[in-house]
Amino acid sequence: MSLIQLQGISRVYGSGPTAVHALRPATLCVEEGTFVAIYGASGSGKSTMLNMLGLLDEPTTGDYLLEGRNVAKLTDAARSEIRCREVGIIFQSFNLFPHFSILENVCMPMRFAGVDRHEMRDRAAELLTRVGLGDRLAHSPSQLSGGQCQRVAIARALANKPTVILADEPTGNLDVKTGDEIIGVFHELVAEGHTVIMVTHNAEYEKEVQRVIELHDGNVVRQ
Amino acid sequence: MSLFYNLESTWLSLKHHAFRSLLAMLGVVLGVAAVVGMLAVSEGARVESIERIRRQGVDNIILHSEEPQANATGGENIYYYGITSEDIAHFKTALDNVKKVVPVVGLRQTIYANGRPTDVVLVGADPEFLNISRSENADPRGRWISELDGVTASQVCSVGVDAARQLFGLDDPLGKTVSVYGATFEVVGLLNNPLHSKLAGKYDINNMVYVEYDTLLSIFNRDALKVEADYVYIQVQDLDYLKNTADRIRTYLAGTHELPDYTISVPYELLLAEQATQRVFAVVMGSIAAISLLVGGIGIMNIMLANIYERTKEIGTLRALGAQRRTILTQFLFEAVTLTGLGGVLGVGIGFLIALLIKHTADMPTIVTPGSVIVALTVSIMTGIIFGTHPAWKAANLSPIEALRR
Repeated sequence: MSLIQLQGISRVYGSGPTAVHALRPATLCVEEGTFVAIYGASGSGKSTMLNMLGLLDEPTTGDYLLEGRNVAKLTDAARSEIRCREVGIIFQSFNLFPHFSILENVCMPMRFAGVDRHEMRDRAAELLTRVGLGDRLAHSPSQLSGGQCQRVAIARALANKPTVILADEPTGNLDVKTGDEIIGVFHELVAEGHTVIMVTHNAEYEKEVQRVIELHDGNVVRQ
Repeated sequence: MSLFYNLESTWLSLKHHAFRSLLAMLGVVLGVAAVVGMLAVSEGARVESIERIRRQGVDNIILHSEEPQANATGGENIYYYGITSEDIAHFKTALDNVKKVVPVVGLRQTIYANGRPTDVVLVGADPEFLNISRSENADPRGRWISELDGVTASQVCSVGVDAARQLFGLDDPLGKTVSVYGATFEVVGLLNNPLHSKLAGKYDINNMVYVEYDTLLSIFNRDALKVEADYVYIQVQDLDYLKNTADRIRTYLAGTHELPDYTISVPYELLLAEQATQRVFAVVMGSIAAISLLVGGIGIMNIMLANIYERTKEIGTLRALGAQRRTILTQFLFEAVTLTGLGGVLGVGIGFLIALLIKHTADMPTIVTPGSVIVALTVSIMTGIIFGTHPAWKAANLSPIEALRR
């Protein structure tokens, strides 16, 4: 059974003649432990696809099976719960909390999951050590470089041992060298068995991933 | 979510927007300060007026003889007026709720001590006057005038401590004599009124000379006094029936006195009237406080809406990481309540200072009661909840993707 199965999933904004079909009915699967890129130009629907996968938005039609469970039509509370425990999200502009230390940033998803305080801190320190920031736990994001910030964000995404890691243009704000380093981290994660789905408009990364899902005008044109 | 997290995140947010937060709090601070200050002034006034009334004795009914105005007598000259000995006898025997009837009669006289004249008020007082006026025998060697002094017509007097200083200076007054109107009295005691009360609010109790009531009546004839009693204190047994007793006295006096030659005052009724006035005052205060806190609350709502607008992306991120709506709601509500709560604490502090300032500059008594502090803090926290709910609700219901887009 595939980790992720999208069955005729679509997203329409508005209704009637002015309706915008951000995502046309799409059916696809993602297997566990693969590194997938969602590729497309801007406005192709790749971000909508990511919002669907990350349960940030509700599909207009279709079903979304995550580990066999249909999560397409759930209450906001239930979706929040799944975002918390099953999904790790990484953003283009990192979205770290500027007033908190990076340790606190990594702790945040664990707070929402109700993890015990000591366990939370231990795990956050462990994750930050793993991404090479073990000696800067008390630093604030503003004291770090972009690449380091994205490493913090990756550590944060891993906090609750998610089923799938989603990355929205994770290298978009980084220079090429630093971007490649981040891709390198993703490779490590995939090698450990994680599933990483990365949204990108950069064709360069095609060769880095195991599978490309290409979108064009809301249609899946390649998978 | 833990309280610790809420505290920390609130603290960071307030620290980050310190000046703005302070400005937002200002409304609540001033509102609460005004409430605490005004309540302190009104409480001071209340306690003072009640104390003033209490000094006259809440369980007393006080009758006062008054010379009727010429227009009331039809131009006729009146020689005798006021409460009579018959009235006093009636009060003593015919009213069941009465504990003591204490007549007092006085007149300003030139009193000679050591051959030196001094103008002092000479009072003929029932021996119970000592207790009813809450005075005491100041010198343990001496004594207060007694019932027996009246029966035996003893020529003795007790002197108020201030009158004693006027009459005798620094000499020991005990055993000395004073003469007045051809009669000589031996000073057997000193009277002190620790509250510095005034008889009927006019005559300083510590500054008069006291002889037994019947003795005074026997020395001065009625032509000199014109009254048989200037004041009659009637002390009741049961405060619950005080009004009833007062009404019966009013009815009796209305039936026996043709002319309006007396007044009746009931401190307890004054006290009740005073308390009613205070209630009106409290309502006015409450309205002012409500308005200022409303303004303060709107300030808080404004700042919270601005905060949320500014932190939309942060809220989106929190939601993307799995924060529930109620987590966001709690966090922003907590922030609003912290703002108003802090404003309340600051306001109470400033209110204290205002109360102190008024006390020392305007010479008005002010009392900050724990109750007013509790009310002020409760109301400021309530303000935070009321005005923080809408912004927090808005934050909690932001769509995660739209919030993230910013």
